[in-house]
Amino acid sequence: MNASVDTPRPSLLRKAAVFVLLAGLGGAFGYGVATLTDGAMSRWEDELAVVMAAAMIGVGLITAFMIARRPADVPRGCGVLQVVVMLLAAAMFLLPVFGSAWATPNVVFGAVLLLVVVQSGANLMLWRTADEMLRRVMLETSALAFWAVQLGLFVYAAAERLGLVGTITGWGLIGLLMGIYFIASIIAAARRGLH
Amino acid sequence: MNNRLKVLRAERDWSQADLAHALGVSRQTVNALETGRYDPSLPLAFKIARVFGQPIEAIFTED
Repeated sequence: MNASVDTPRPSLLRKAAVFVLLAGLGGAFGYGVATLTDGAMSRWEDELAVVMAAAMIGVGLITAFMIARRPADVPRGCGVLQVVVMLLAAAMFLLPVFGSAWATPNVVFGAVLLLVVVQSGANLMLWRTADEMLRRVMLETSALAFWAVQLGLFVYAAAERLGLVGTITGWGLIGLLMGIYFIASIIAAARRGLH
Repeated sequence: MNNRLKVLRAERDWSQADLAHALGVSRQTVNALETGRYDPSLPLAFKIARVFGQPIEAIFTED
């Protein structure tokens, strides 16, 4: 054991500087994505998938930055796995949108299935290496997201059955689910003081 | 639940990272425990008691 070092409390100026930096990075990233994907997407489902992927890449990069800044050996490998899971999930959302520009749909689908297997394995490893609080956050995220999704899905399904709204594709639904899951994870993490 | 983790840790001049390492949890978990944002499981509470050499009820108290 060595000298006492608590979690530092950043000053307001430092918080503002980090906020401006992240906002600038987010703006530049958004502009880059919009430029790269200009004209490539014609459906809102694809736009939502790209937004979700961009958010996951952003969170993954911020997590990687935090790990590099304050490395921790306990739980071993947990932080790296969180980054890997995020980046693989982002790739899973990007491949169906942009993959067909480089390969046939069958090949792209094969790559998507491969990513699903690898990402699921990484998720399982993350669960096994996580400590009990991170597991609790994951469970609470899942519970909160399930509650919100099943409620929203029921309301939408009833409206669709009555012919009041149009049909949403499976691709659109998974994008919405991911968005809800993302918000649920932010809420669950914030309750435990994780940011 | 209230706890004396921060005081006990300060008495030993340990950092949150030191305590996290001794308990086998993340530094964020130690921070959440100290700020009352997370109540530990029974196994973790026993481990905390063992690390500080005190009974659980001397570290954790009800609200």
